[in-house]
Amino acid sequence: MNSKFSIIGKPTAMVDAAEKTTGSGKYTDDLSVPGMLVGKILHSPYPHARIKAIDTNKAEKLDGVVAVAVGQDAPKTYGILPVGHDEYPLALDKVRYVGDNVACVVATSEAIAERALELIDVDYEVLPGYFDPEESMKAKSDLIHDHKLNNIEKDYHHVFGDPERGLAEADQVAEARFISNEVTHAAMEPHSTLASFEIDPHTGKPGRLTVWSSTQVPYYLQHKLSLVLEMPMQQIRVIKPLVGGGFGGKSEVIPLEIIAAIAARKAKAPVKITYTREEVFWAHRGRPRTIIDLKTGVKKDGRITAVKARVVQDGGAYCSYGVVTILYSGALLGALYDIPNIQFDGYRVLTNKPACGAMRGHGTVNVRFAFESQLDELASAIGMDPAEIRRRNLLHSPCITVNGLRVQSYGLPECIEKTVERSGWKERKGKLAKGRGLGIACSHYVSGAANSIIRSDMPHSTVNIKIDRDGGVVVYTGASEIGQGSDTMTAQIAAETLGCSLSRIRVVAADTDLTPIDIGSYSSRVTFMAGNATLRAAGEVKKLIAAAAAKTMSCDPEDVVFRDDLITKKVCVGTDAVVRPAEQGSAASVSGRVEGQILRGSLQQKRKEEGPKESTTFEEAVVTAIDFHGALTGTGSYAPPAEARGGKHKGAGVGPSPAYSYSAQVAEVSVDEETGEVTVHKVWAAHDCGRALNPVSVEGQIIGSVWMGMGQALTEEMVWKDGMLMNPGLLEYRSPSSVESPEVEPIIVESVDPEGPFGAKECSEGSLAATIPAIANAIYDAVGVRLHESPFTPERVLAALRAKKLAKTLNLTEGIDPTAPSRFREHGGSLWFKGKGPERHPLDPSRQADAPAGGAD
Amino acid sequence: MSLPEFKLLRARELRQALEFLGKCAGSALPGQTARAPDSRERLSLHDSGLRVVAGGTDLIPSMKQKLFEPEYVLDLRAIRELRGIRPLADGGVEIGALTTLREIERSAFLRQHYPVLTEAAASVASPVLRNMGTIGGNICLDTRCLWYNQSLTWRKGCGFCIKKDGDLCHVAPGGAKCWAAFSGDTPPALLCLDAELELASATGTRRVALRDFYTGLGDNYRNLQRNELLTRVLLPASSAGFTGVYRKLRVRGSIDYPLAGVAVAMKRYNSHIADARIGITAVNPAPLLVAGASELLAGKTLDESLAEAAGDMAAKISKPLTTSALTPEYRREMIRVFTKRAVLAAAQAEN
Repeated sequence: MNSKFSIIGKPTAMVDAAEKTTGSGKYTDDLSVPGMLVGKILHSPYPHARIKAIDTNKAEKLDGVVAVAVGQDAPKTYGILPVGHDEYPLALDKVRYVGDNVACVVATSEAIAERALELIDVDYEVLPGYFDPEESMKAKSDLIHDHKLNNIEKDYHHVFGDPERGLAEADQVAEARFISNEVTHAAMEPHSTLASFEIDPHTGKPGRLTVWSSTQVPYYLQHKLSLVLEMPMQQIRVIKPLVGGGFGGKSEVIPLEIIAAIAARKAKAPVKITYTREEVFWAHRGRPRTIIDLKTGVKKDGRITAVKARVVQDGGAYCSYGVVTILYSGALLGALYDIPNIQFDGYRVLTNKPACGAMRGHGTVNVRFAFESQLDELASAIGMDPAEIRRRNLLHSPCITVNGLRVQSYGLPECIEKTVERSGWKERKGKLAKGRGLGIACSHYVSGAANSIIRSDMPHSTVNIKIDRDGGVVVYTGASEIGQGSDTMTAQIAAETLGCSLSRIRVVAADTDLTPIDIGSYSSRVTFMAGNATLRAAGEVKKLIAAAAAKTMSCDPEDVVFRDDLITKKVCVGTDAVVRPAEQGSAASVSGRVEGQILRGSLQQKRKEEGPKESTTFEEAVVTAIDFHGALTGTGSYAPPAEARGGKHKGAGVGPSPAYSYSAQVAEVSVDEETGEVTVHKVWAAHDCGRALNPVSVEGQIIGSVWMGMGQALTEEMVWKDGMLMNPGLLEYRSPSSVESPEVEPIIVESVDPEGPFGAKECSEGSLAATIPAIANAIYDAVGVRLHESPFTPERVLAALRAKKLAKTLNLTEGIDPTAPSRFREHGGSLWFKGKGPERHPLDPSRQADAPAGGAD
Repeated sequence: MSLPEFKLLRARELRQALEFLGKCAGSALPGQTARAPDSRERLSLHDSGLRVVAGGTDLIPSMKQKLFEPEYVLDLRAIRELRGIRPLADGGVEIGALTTLREIERSAFLRQHYPVLTEAAASVASPVLRNMGTIGGNICLDTRCLWYNQSLTWRKGCGFCIKKDGDLCHVAPGGAKCWAAFSGDTPPALLCLDAELELASATGTRRVALRDFYTGLGDNYRNLQRNELLTRVLLPASSAGFTGVYRKLRVRGSIDYPLAGVAVAMKRYNSHIADARIGITAVNPAPLLVAGASELLAGKTLDESLAEAAGDMAAKISKPLTTSALTPEYRREMIRVFTKRAVLAAAQAEN
């Protein structure tokens, strides 16, 4: 009884850990229903083309093919944002990227479906494609979407304070271009959807639809299905089975989810579609390639006077979350440090590539890399320690930033202090061996967006709780467990509030028929919002139990304490008057307790015998309460308070959050100066999560964020050639393996937010953004070069080193070494053989017939 | 992606496998007797009605990508006689083609006498893949290219390429040679060790030096007749006792194919280099022995500049194109650096 809490704050195994680790758990692709068929999607081979005709006749005639769905089967647009309804489930007139969805074959086997895809004839008229955002912005004709002039999805221009004056007042100004190349989520589980219609008994036609899908947002899926299929939402049930990771890649409606339903309707049979890894890359919705022109000014004392950022995001062919992404990239310039003047010009640009969307650290990561790198440059320019310059610019919470973000809890100072201390920063910085260095960087993130995507006053989360006579507590929540620990968090909060053991709680989650609306697992909102809703629902039930218990104990409901499966009079807590559950158990069994249930008659008997008590067991109290109230249910919901919803300017809706998490990291790296290879040895990562409800889970999230950030920093990059993704697989798209994963020391900082459940804030995303600049700054400390383009591949590092050696100014955002003999930017067609010409193939007519065969080298 | 349909042939002994192979080689070329493939005859690999599977780590993903859609797949795994490492009386060693890379990596005998091979084997892919992959498979590994190792849908998008279904090379658009890179890790080590291969067919066996096994053409990269099977790898006694180092450029510490690889085998006599050989991989359509390296190094005392000269020599014959990640210039530069480092390391290595 040392802690204020009995459940939260203790390392707790995930409630679904056993089924996941033993393999008994069911992911969507593990499911099947009688009569289920397989769907396979035909994708566009062209980055930009008009569809003149589609002939599916031959495919339909293939034995085993049941149906072929095309655009005309559901010619309705949708999109995750109300302002971005620009996607057809299957292309109607145009395809906009290699991999765009053209048709769907439903067949009895995957092999047959694949064969049928080869039999579909599509007549395309190829259009010029746009692959570079800055080129795309110049487009006058053949626009990707007719109504989006210059292929600009959306642009925003924000000015807070007086940036020009701020820069004029600065003692030191830095200006540079940064580029972060495109990365994707690479979740382990590929997307999968199973759609099944019930036959309406009255009409004999397809009636209610059930969809099982690997999604982070069951409610949005239900909503979009209703739009596209033109069915009322209440006729659609979305169930989320186990999900093998999302990271934002499943936080919107992915084409296969709607295509499966359309195909099932056309085939009149249940249809399952599971993406291949290549299709996952095409569905994408990852972090866009971002070009950041950044200008920051500081005074000699390290105070930031102004920031100007021009951000161009290569958004791909559809809007997706794009408007939100570009807004986050500007809004989250605020709320980390105290910056008096901010100018932001953001452009979300369309290109003929798969759509980018939300990815862990949505919108903030790339700009954070640029900002934290530049701050490091400024620190060294004014001769200040990089940790110190960050301390000089702290916010004074509670406060509202210049761009309207409300900060109520702020653990950044402690995060910086702890990482500096644990990493031995003061003793070791600048004193490491040649080629080895330390770098520091900070970041932050929202604990849920204060404004939901679909503007309304509805609560963002609602939770129902039901307790029955068996003393079991069932929590119904729409929140989506995607591996992040949502169900465990829900169970913990319910158990803590009700003072019962965790094993009593069963969480029923993410089934639109059973669970009340929750807008989903994205923007790190679940602990804060669904957690608060759970807290409130449990509080409501607790009140009912307390009222009944108080009666039997002859005291006020307020004087009843719930803890460790006991309900006790406050005055008696910790005294001998408390009956321990074990003693109670043996006594109760005499008086008729059977298998954990207390029979009504015997209980009344017992009450009569015993008179008023000092304490009662949870089960007893539940039975009493049900007898007293008739039923034991509670509901709680959460909507962010009006004060937290941000300013009034255009685009002000994105960025505000009821609370922000904070992170500071120190990375230790070494650089091989001959090869440019960077090795990360250790990362100290402090994260302010408000309160750690489940410390082991928080640590896991911090380590995972650092690891994912390291992937973007060093190895991960989607490589394009004329709209073709050159590495659509996990062999060539290189997420780090365990071999090069460094030791990560997670440090939990608890600022206890006034509005978070038990003070908790987010912990899953905020840490990622600090890792990339921490590594970049450590590279600078190690070998004195600034990397302005991520990932910091060995060739980019080597190019920077060479340029430094030659004392050349090198535009490091070109991605290549201009001092090298030939230039090379994209894959496909090296200039290495320019002039000489490659060896001719023996069959080439231009080659002499008697040329020696083989051994051409 | 599903595997294309095929008939699985399971051979229990070598003789049976060779019979299957002989029959299919015949049926794939009606009216012709099996003959040595002419390097001018394109696509013979893909035309073949039969593919051999040992560990499956190369073939199975390629079949899913519809790079190969053979009528028959001949499974060799049950052929015991092709498995194992057998030291020979004359001091050499014979390695069965089905010996897994893991067995080679862990062989105390090979580590002692042919360390360059164990080091190269230990760097292949990841532990899981080394448990499955075989030395024969690594030698016969299909050449790789970003424009080739892709799904059917993807390849359709780029209009195919010379190596499969198309008629141009995307990495060297002017020409008609396939530049797909040979990306096996063990062959450069085996080249340093003067390895010989035993190739068997229903009509007999022949031996070919590993250096004559590769053609240098990406699309028809090996001299192996359709009715032939690689059965054994032979390392001569004269190559035993060389110190060995293998250096591999890759982005990740595991899983990845080499983006450039250098093997060095060295024999020292007091402070001199008695003999040294350098093999490179992943930067040409064939693994290559660096010609002239022995002459450059033999009889000399190694120093930094001599190692650098060796590096330059190796870089000169490497012609990486954009067949994989990282720029060709960088990969070529790394051949230089890695060769230098490998030579220096080999001179330091304990026997």
